[in-house]
Amino acid sequence: MDSQGQKYQVFEKERADLAHRNAGSVHAPDAEMALENARDVFVRRPNCLSLWVVPERAIFSKTVQELRDNAWREADAASDAPTETWLVFQKQGQTARETFVAHVGAVAACSPQQALSRALETFPNKNVFVWWVVPERVIFKSEDADAPSMFAPAHTKTYRNHLAYPVEPIMRELKSAQEMLDE
Amino acid sequence: MDEQAELQEFQARIARGEKIEPGDWMPEEYRKQLIRMISQHAHSEIVGMLPEGAWITRAPTLRRKIVLLAKVQDEGGHGQYLYHAAETLGATREEMIDALLAGKAKYSSVFNYPSLTWADMGMIGWLVDGAAIMNQTMLAHCSYGPYSRAMVRICTEETFHKKQGMEQVIKYARGTPQQKAMVQDALNRWWAPSLMMFGPHDSDSPNSAQLIAWGVKTKTNDELRQEFINKMVPDLQLLGLKIPDPNLHYDETSGNWITSEIDWDEFWRVVKGDGPCNRERLAARRQAHENGAWVREALNAYAEKYEQ
Repeated sequence: MDSQGQKYQVFEKERADLAHRNAGSVHAPDAEMALENARDVFVRRPNCLSLWVVPERAIFSKTVQELRDNAWREADAASDAPTETWLVFQKQGQTARETFVAHVGAVAACSPQQALSRALETFPNKNVFVWWVVPERVIFKSEDADAPSMFAPAHTKTYRNHLAYPVEPIMRELKSAQEMLDE
Repeated sequence: MDEQAELQEFQARIARGEKIEPGDWMPEEYRKQLIRMISQHAHSEIVGMLPEGAWITRAPTLRRKIVLLAKVQDEGGHGQYLYHAAETLGATREEMIDALLAGKAKYSSVFNYPSLTWADMGMIGWLVDGAAIMNQTMLAHCSYGPYSRAMVRICTEETFHKKQGMEQVIKYARGTPQQKAMVQDALNRWWAPSLMMFGPHDSDSPNSAQLIAWGVKTKTNDELRQEFINKMVPDLQLLGLKIPDPNLHYDETSGNWITSEIDWDEFWRVVKGDGPCNRERLAARRQAHENGAWVREALNAYAEKYEQ
């Protein structure tokens, strides 16, 4: 069986006023290839302003259901590790179009458990169903300077949009012509 | 909590319209059924690249060529979204790819039919992608979060696939006598396989009731199939095309278009690996996988060296 490489979660920023949100994942041998793959898999269309890839094993994730028991807090082992920045992600909705895990902010912590505890205090919200925390150091981000070559080409490919195929007016016209004949 | 209480809460969450997320408690059978469905769906996207991919080099114009390239590339991307969703349930990418290449995995039977003329590119877009969108629009409301999210993305993109196909069918149906004959021939060959895309008859679909109770599906195979028929028949007839079914008739009481019984022997034969192109499709996938082996090796070697 061939290895498909490591798994990376992909975060995509679609508009200036939107946070990075989880689009799915890709497999790749390293972060750089993961970013290239993520671009091919998730940015065949506008709009994308920035992409992040994160090795999945570096993500500490808990659903609200998993948070009900406090066992995860006690597993706080690596507390002598240096303090660093952790990015916090939440899933805030339950309908199909809004259930994405999205970036909400950052906390300083020295372990995944501490990062999550601080995230729970810093970004309290009753409507959160999933929490992810990730050390910022492991996030591989697209560079602003690369944006034109990575994301701009999708803008000219208007034929990827269904609006480029105005078929409904033709069908409506045919239908009314048919109805006139029938009368 | 004991299993019974977990199960009750799970059903209550589904009744409230909540999405089940990776990490949440779920019945083992829910996980198993979803892995089965999602991986088959992923394989269908990947194998689905082949019937149309064969025509990229023979596109009649540059515009048609870039459109078809973009569509086939989308199908590859959709396969990736779906493998991702199945992985969140514990299936590995390697296992799924292996199962496909070994001929153990199922995928949509429609892709085991050959694409014989350029008119098939229009007909596949309209019928096959149209049927897929119906199924996928339902699945976008699925109770499992990652599957539902993948479906939302896919549906948006597939609308383009369907409409580019429709545009071509309209052009051919209103074109020269030769073009009309070509597009009628394409309809004759793709009509039945596209109806089969909705899966076995409800009486042969033992998982349906459970999947509906779990909020994975909201409609049965036959309900979706009937919706598709009711939408397609008037549109195709409006274009002067003839549905290849001598028994097709409109039923005033139900408001349904009634078709002949589907050839279920053929359906099961193709599903079980004995359709016109099953062997060819798998051979093409294996060849692509083997030809790409040196690339994967090189990338892994580079990644290892870089890490040191």
